[in-house]
Amino acid sequence: MQHWLRTVGIAAVGAAIAASLSWISTPVSGQGSTYKAPRAIGTPNPDLNGIWQALNTANYDLQTHIARPAMALRPGPYGPVPAAPVLALGAVGAAPGGLGVVDGDEIPYKPEALAKKKKNQEEWLTSDPEIKCYLPGLPRATYMPFPFQILQSSRAIFFAYEYAGATRNIYLKDPGPPPVDSWMGQSVGRWEGDTLVIETRGFNDQTWFDRSGNHHSEQLQVVERFTRTAPDHMQYEATITDPQVFTRPWKISMPLYRRIERNAQLMEFKCVEFVEELMYGMYRKNPLPR
Amino acid sequence: MRRTRFVLAMGTALVLSFGASMRAHHAFGGEFDANRPVLLKGAITKVEWVNPHAWIHMAVKEVTIAGQKQTPKPGETWAVEGGTPNTLLRRGINRDTVKIGTEIVVDGYQTRDHTLTRANGRNITFLDGRKLFMGSSGTGAPRDGADATEPPK
Amino acid sequence: MRGKLTIGVFAAFVASVLLGTADLSGQASGGRAPVKATGGPRTPDGHPDFQGVYDLATLTPLERPEALGTSLTMTTEQARKLEQQVASRRDVLNRPSDANRGAPPIGGDGSPGAAGNVGGYNNFWIDNGDAYFSIEGQKRTSIIVDPPNGRMPELLASARARNAARLIQTTSDASEDEHDPGLEKGAGAYDDSERRPLGERCLIGFGSTSGPPALPVLYNNLHQIVQTKDTIVIMNEMVHDARVIRMNAQHLPPTVRKWMGDSVGRWEGDTLVVDTTNFTDKTRFRGSSDQLHIVERFSRLDDKTLLYRFTVEDPSTWARPWTGEYTWPKTDQLLYEYACHEANYALEYILRGARQRDRERSTGRPGNR
Repeated sequence: MQHWLRTVGIAAVGAAIAASLSWISTPVSGQGSTYKAPRAIGTPNPDLNGIWQALNTANYDLQTHIARPAMALRPGPYGPVPAAPVLALGAVGAAPGGLGVVDGDEIPYKPEALAKKKKNQEEWLTSDPEIKCYLPGLPRATYMPFPFQILQSSRAIFFAYEYAGATRNIYLKDPGPPPVDSWMGQSVGRWEGDTLVIETRGFNDQTWFDRSGNHHSEQLQVVERFTRTAPDHMQYEATITDPQVFTRPWKISMPLYRRIERNAQLMEFKCVEFVEELMYGMYRKNPLPR
Repeated sequence: MRRTRFVLAMGTALVLSFGASMRAHHAFGGEFDANRPVLLKGAITKVEWVNPHAWIHMAVKEVTIAGQKQTPKPGETWAVEGGTPNTLLRRGINRDTVKIGTEIVVDGYQTRDHTLTRANGRNITFLDGRKLFMGSSGTGAPRDGADATEPPK
Repeated sequence: MRGKLTIGVFAAFVASVLLGTADLSGQASGGRAPVKATGGPRTPDGHPDFQGVYDLATLTPLERPEALGTSLTMTTEQARKLEQQVASRRDVLNRPSDANRGAPPIGGDGSPGAAGNVGGYNNFWIDNGDAYFSIEGQKRTSIIVDPPNGRMPELLASARARNAARLIQTTSDASEDEHDPGLEKGAGAYDDSERRPLGERCLIGFGSTSGPPALPVLYNNLHQIVQTKDTIVIMNEMVHDARVIRMNAQHLPPTVRKWMGDSVGRWEGDTLVVDTTNFTDKTRFRGSSDQLHIVERFSRLDDKTLLYRFTVEDPSTWARPWTGEYTWPKTDQLLYEYACHEANYALEYILRGARQRDRERSTGRPGNR
């Protein structure tokens, strides 16, 4: 009996050591975080107020990607080179590398939808809605290279994005099916313990998930999970479901970082005025050379 | 009906203020051509529930432009500009309210760019004349005599 | 009989105004403010809770119509008559049109203002209020309370000259066809997208709907307030514009300019005071400059209504500040997305139309094929 207990005891200690080692080797994630965020005043929920920003290259490509000369390429004698319209940007127009944010690094397209993605990539410069500063949709709004602000009161949750001045009011009571489609969808939020869960539907089919042509239909539904993991870190996960485009739901995840400058705030980036020359310059009375 | 001068004056001011508040809104006169009135009859093929203006697309069976009845090309569609959908959404209208294939009559004016088969939805009705979204006609007080129910000027 | 009594009361009020025995709350810095409710919900940090959605639509115009002279208020009876006029007009316009109508006339239908002689669109798209707003039971004839005549002060002569100079474009030739009532007359009004009003470009909402100061406009008058200790957001439906108000903060340096200016807020007792500067020189609210300075004051009138009061000043535009106030009633209605730039066909068609006219002029040929 004693011998058996000792064996069990050794095994238990061994298991505990193994578990702690695997914890060290696992990339930091929200799961298993023991951080307990301060409560938002007057609520039992963690305080998500603040200015947050993703720090990765997901907006270039959700999947693992190496650096390349430009997002718009053409064949060169020894491999792709920047397409003529972006050539003058030089290294400024180059795209950095990054590890993917997709679970399993695979986006489960249906065959025809994958073909559309490739077509999107070929026509990136004229097709990516980001080029025209259109509203970014979800989850792209989260990882645009711009900060966003979460306002959380005892009665409301609101997201203000610097990019394109996009906004999202998060309904805390489901108002019913969205009457029409929209760029940012209709969001309903709830708490699961210390995780804010936001379900969004009612998207149009116009937004992309990144600059690499990843796309969706009007059947898109996105479930996001926001969990504070440290004073200035938040874990973000988004599960994407779209039965018209994908064979199954798939998930992205990434940390969000608090902008901790003393005077951190959103700057203005309406960006509509920046694309007027692109979109309407040909209709000037005296058009500039294009 | 006897009205005080006060009330009449406010009423006039009211009509004028409609025009003034629309001034900063959108240059209808710059977009559409007053010399190209159109009458369109056909079936709705698509509604773009977009801002700043909804667009209702129709496959036309009858097209009259500037007094001339035209033969529509096969599959010819026109798009007519409406207002903001948001007002309608708050009245309970949604993307399913108006079915594809609904027959409508539109009178309005073509875009100044005549290469476009587009017009302002000055007055969008069902075939029997009822307003499409159960509303009123004519911001800017049209007085063309076409609508017999309009009070005389 | 009742009508005579009403007119008598009204006349007495007008007399009291003229004699100065009635306070019209004209002072920019406060004057006599309406009695504020002291009850009502509070946020956990102890301030009045103004959160919710408000519908600002009202029949009361910004400026008092000439016919009303100096009276800030009118009787309930007078307002009711006007409100009934509006309701009746809408009822009439709701009736079906002639099923066998023809097209409208060649040359336009005579519709004034920005309906542009082409009749705009059906009235069911419009949502600009059913009633004049009341404060302390008194119907208001104008939003502006100071100057006491309920009208904006005159622009300074230098401001008029400045604004006229802005319109001159050296690359532009003759102004639009003088005979076309649908077109704006200023030289070069359609030369470039930058010449078009900010609302038409989908930069900010038309008519100062977001402001500041926020004003009622033809439709989509919904605004949502979200309130935290450090930041208050006023979300304006058009153009999905969130005004982010930093509480107890300093304004940004003068090099930083924003379309809706930079807003900082503070509490004065139960009144939220929002101070906005740093406007761009293109915002130009009512002809003003980038020196525009707006102070807004939000306070609770009752459980369902805010009092919104604002003072406008720009010493390079007006010789004196001016002040307005109106009510923000709560609504259960929802804001919907107003993505504007994403489907702004109109701007493209307006510019294309202008280039058509240019081609017609240069070829001397009317119409186009």
